[in-house]
Amino acid sequence: MAIHQTCDGIRRRDFLRMGAIGGTSLTLANYLKFAQAGQVAQGGAQAAIFINLPGGPTHLDTFDMKPDAPAEYRGLFKPMKTNVPGVEFCEHMPKLAKCADKFAILRGVSHTLAAHRLGQEYVNTGSRPLASLEYPGYGAVVTKEKQAAPDLPPFVAIPNTNQRPGFLGVQYAALNTGQTPRPGQPFRVRGISLEGGVTIEEVERRANLLDDLDHTFNDYEQHNQLLEGLDRFGQQAQTIITSRSARDAFDVSQESPEFAKPFGETPFGQSCLLASRLVASGVRFVTVSLGGWDTHQNNFSKLQENLLPTFDEGFSALLNGLEQKGLLASTAIFVTGEFGRTPKINNRSEPGGRDHYPRCMFMLMAGGRVRGGQVIGESDDKATGPAHDGISPDDVAASFYHNLGIDPTTEYHSTTGRPITLVRNGKVIKGLFG
Amino acid sequence: MQRNLFPSLVFSAMVISSVPLLAAELPSVEKRFADASVSETPDFQRHVVPLMGRLGCNGRSCHGSFQGRGGFQLSLFGYDFRADHAALTEGDEPRVSVKEPMDSMILNKPTDEFEHEGGKRFERDSWQYHVFRRWVEAGAKYDAESAQALVALEVTPAEIQFHKDQEQVALQAVAVWDDGTREDVTPLCRFQSNDDAVVAVDETGLVTSGEKGDSHVVVFYDNAVVPVPIMRPVSDQIDQAYPDVATSTKVDELIVAKLRKMGIVPSDLCTDAEFLRRMSLDLTGTLPSASEIEAFLADSAQDKRAQKVDELLESPAYAAWWATRFCDYTGNNSDALNNVTPVREMAGQAWYDWIYDRIARNVPYDEIVAGIVLSESREGDESYREYCEAMSDICRADEQRPFAERETMPYYWARRTIRQPEDRAIAFAYTFMGIRIECAQCHKHPFDQWSKNDFEQFTGFFSRITLGNNGLGNDAKAQYQEMVAELGIEGKRGGELRKSFSQLIEKGKTVPFPEVAVTGAKATYNKKDKKQGKEAPARKTARLLDGQVIDVASVDDPRKPLMDWLRSGDNPYLARAIVNRIWANYFNVGIVQPTDDLSLAHPPSNAPLLDYLAREFVAHGYDLKWLHREIIASDAYQRSWRPNETNMHDEKNFSRAIPRRLPAEVAYDVLRQALVNDEQAAVARDDLKGRAIAIATAGARNNSRGPQYALTVFGRSIRESNCDCDRTNDASLLQTVYIQNDSDTLMLLDDRDSWVAQVSKELGLSKSAKQKTPPRPKNYDTVIENLEKQVQRHHRRGDDAAERKAKVALKAYRERFQDSSDEAGEETAAEWNVDALIERAYLRTLSRRPTTDELAASADFLRESEDRVEGLKGLLWALVNTKEFIVNH
Repeated sequence: MAIHQTCDGIRRRDFLRMGAIGGTSLTLANYLKFAQAGQVAQGGAQAAIFINLPGGPTHLDTFDMKPDAPAEYRGLFKPMKTNVPGVEFCEHMPKLAKCADKFAILRGVSHTLAAHRLGQEYVNTGSRPLASLEYPGYGAVVTKEKQAAPDLPPFVAIPNTNQRPGFLGVQYAALNTGQTPRPGQPFRVRGISLEGGVTIEEVERRANLLDDLDHTFNDYEQHNQLLEGLDRFGQQAQTIITSRSARDAFDVSQESPEFAKPFGETPFGQSCLLASRLVASGVRFVTVSLGGWDTHQNNFSKLQENLLPTFDEGFSALLNGLEQKGLLASTAIFVTGEFGRTPKINNRSEPGGRDHYPRCMFMLMAGGRVRGGQVIGESDDKATGPAHDGISPDDVAASFYHNLGIDPTTEYHSTTGRPITLVRNGKVIKGLFG
Repeated sequence: MQRNLFPSLVFSAMVISSVPLLAAELPSVEKRFADASVSETPDFQRHVVPLMGRLGCNGRSCHGSFQGRGGFQLSLFGYDFRADHAALTEGDEPRVSVKEPMDSMILNKPTDEFEHEGGKRFERDSWQYHVFRRWVEAGAKYDAESAQALVALEVTPAEIQFHKDQEQVALQAVAVWDDGTREDVTPLCRFQSNDDAVVAVDETGLVTSGEKGDSHVVVFYDNAVVPVPIMRPVSDQIDQAYPDVATSTKVDELIVAKLRKMGIVPSDLCTDAEFLRRMSLDLTGTLPSASEIEAFLADSAQDKRAQKVDELLESPAYAAWWATRFCDYTGNNSDALNNVTPVREMAGQAWYDWIYDRIARNVPYDEIVAGIVLSESREGDESYREYCEAMSDICRADEQRPFAERETMPYYWARRTIRQPEDRAIAFAYTFMGIRIECAQCHKHPFDQWSKNDFEQFTGFFSRITLGNNGLGNDAKAQYQEMVAELGIEGKRGGELRKSFSQLIEKGKTVPFPEVAVTGAKATYNKKDKKQGKEAPARKTARLLDGQVIDVASVDDPRKPLMDWLRSGDNPYLARAIVNRIWANYFNVGIVQPTDDLSLAHPPSNAPLLDYLAREFVAHGYDLKWLHREIIASDAYQRSWRPNETNMHDEKNFSRAIPRRLPAEVAYDVLRQALVNDEQAAVARDDLKGRAIAIATAGARNNSRGPQYALTVFGRSIRESNCDCDRTNDASLLQTVYIQNDSDTLMLLDDRDSWVAQVSKELGLSKSAKQKTPPRPKNYDTVIENLEKQVQRHHRRGDDAAERKAKVALKAYRERFQDSSDEAGEETAAEWNVDALIERAYLRTLSRRPTTDELAASADFLRESEDRVEGLKGLLWALVNTKEFIVNH
């Protein structure tokens, strides 16, 4: 990444010197002023929350129901009306039905990768996986393009993510919390705040010594993504540790009980609560995950008893919570699994399951400039494929970046200097935005 | 019966002039079917299906999709001829009409005369049209019985070297069939570039050069997959203009042969200090100690590097680190082994111990594999009771690694995650063959010759392996009930039963153990079994990939012919998979990358190199230590990481050392080794106590406790998905946070076993004020001993909560009186030798002496430190936080 290495406008050593001079009084405003030399993505939503539904959620039993299709397609659930006339989805998501105006449903999204890993890579990068080049996940791109508060990790995964930094280099990787918060209990990520009586002065003195000694790879560093990444992590860790911001940002127990209650007690709900708090604190990209959608068997009981109530509670609380904090307009939200599921119910076990089906799936978008309460795209009468042209994961990726003020045609360069377009094949879905 | 030779030997690109012409070569279909008057009948397997593949009909996004498309489904990527023939000729809407050939959809859809969602694929009256037309006119036949096997696909040229932008070369492919017929099949092949940036290939096989570098174009036809190396040198220094580079070993000869074509000049050799650190970390997961480094640097022997390798190969750390890696490949996961033994964690520990013992004794690799593949719980003529007695004894044994005495290691097959024959076949292929055959479970493997049928036939080897929770067979049933009656545990179930088992074993009793065995071929299978997740019925026959059909119903153990095949000298998988994985441990990437994907479409970056190592490894009796020596002895391994202009971007041709983050267990261990006192650091390679490389199992549970937290943060293998990617060596912010500021690290810096404490004592420095602790009570040692015993007791009983509680109490007590016995006197004004201290700190962390600048900066820091102990801590903290510390380079 030789060519883009200065895009951040700031190098570790510069920063540490500032730290040494400014002590802890270095504010975000100062930092941003200092960072203006770089190309920082302006405008658009300032942060993003990506909700991953690994396993591949069925579209027919959730947001793309076909009540008029034959029984072996339509399944056991019925659609329900929502607070938006004309928009209907599964009866087992009543809380979301009351805030359907806050998000847009994309139907007839279509691709061809029916394996979990490849599908996940596709929907987490917006580019169809290539053997020769690993594309960066959304979070890595946003980390690169959006300046974050220096004393917070820019990209947090609760508890972990499939979004890898790819060709951008490891320095743009997520911080994985490794676990999810428990209701009402203090939550922290180990090591991110000073403990045990170590003083900031000591820490800074050591850090300056480290800065003086860590020169072995000097001339080579810029050509090696691992070393460059370690360098950046060194700087970030130092800043995060010596500030209180990160510790406070992670501690969901500091939220008021009234605010926290709607999120419920599930790990997913608690993750959504943490995501809202992190975004409010200045973290740029948060991923949340709700797995278990690989319903080859017992599709309907798994959905009804567990998956849908959990998703309904957590996602509706997130939308309402962000709105309450005035953050919905500045936070781009994207919900997706890796594919839909076969329209025709398999008869391997009663009462049936559905298998991998990438040709037709749904995605959800909210926040930022997304106009909620609408359905974009359409599937055919049995939801076996898009009714018309269909929407590609690339199109949704382009739209997501657009919502964040990042040009999807931005050109990057590989380590060998090869030009690479951020979203190779996607077009921004115009109707999505207000 | 089909009978192929080993595809990997046969489906290689060849120079056509060197092949004797066995029969007249048929010109391509493109020529033969150009004219409408053609009378030839095309063959379904040879022409029709490949043409559909070429046209994209059976691709993922078209009729190859699950549930088909437009009411018409083909097998993905072809090769399920029967199903494809049925799809074309049968059903409500057959795609061919033999009665009215010209009405056939196969002719009218792809020409877009009937509405076709996929658009126009070819013109009416084109050669493609005539191929399909003639096939339909002749009755649209497919005769499975008379089908021929493809013997070879000869692609020319065998290798392409480009020199400038936009150069073009056309590939030609000739199919050679069982009956000796040869046919130019270029227009029926699919072509794929493995790196679009380096080389582009169009659908006709026309290859166009891209940027500098090397990759492959892969040619697909029938079940053949042939990679063609494509190279474009990165500099002018090629062939005659290439500098004189010494090649002291065969490995170097083969590597430099490729570098010469690529114009890549390798880096110089590394220093002795660099070599010692690098090799010690790679081979033993351990840092060299300070005294060891000094001795090595002072040694003037010519062959001191080789001598050092020999010495380290004998160390326990070598066996421990490689047992860890072998546990990765074999999938030693504690979650998958839940309840496989009545005593918790015993199976995973036994698994590790069994492998450790064999690596330490340098048992040939094929024997280790056989001990896993052919494993059964009982050995010899052991009765079920005798087996349970032996296992109960093992649980109580005082000696180390008691399970290692057993002949075989059955826990590989006992895993609850691989109960079905299909899952076992996939796991087996991953572990011992280094390939991913799961694609072929549903369709023709897109990157390999495996067809769905191959996969199904292969699973036949695994269907008779059974895990019986209460023993297997009639004798076991009776003896199990006897034991239960004797033990008085009737009626107990689940956790309660397991708890009582642990307690009974401790009391010297024999308890029943689950067992793995190969059961008879007549296993029944009904719906009820399926619901309960029991094994599928045994297949009567199974087939190896080379076409050999085995009557598995008539052999005692179907795994035997499988193992015989695997260890036969020319098997293309066993040796290559392990050689490649071990190579990757030393070079950051494998010769095939990723290391668990040795499919034909992912060819080696240096095929002669992998061939050589695999062949010699077998010739040396699968001697693992030979392999380590052979790799380490090469100049390639001993090169510096410092790049030159030509190899700056080389990551896969082994022209320099690539800095890599230390693997999780090694990172955890060396951080400790760098911070503990000299005495403990010096024995790190021999004393495995507390070492992460001695932890037997991995799993998703308990990942926040003890060393598991750090190991998870640093990406140790989770060993759960048949993928070498279960381990990650990526760096992350949280790893840096761990080394900078985790309580683990900060405690290590100056606890009583730390180097800082040792030096403080040596120099008569008092501990820093906040480290002061009250004096130890007289019964301190007794209290500690009692608490330790409590922990062990609860652990043995599997009482988690009590164990945790006892551990907390132990830790709190230790911390309260930590180090107070070592209390030194008042701080002395004695002059301390700053330079010597700094050198010791450097040796124990970065395994080298400091440079003049580093010495000066460190000395300034120490002198400016008001509190000398804090100064020492600061210096050591800074050194373990350098990039140089956490990467191997």
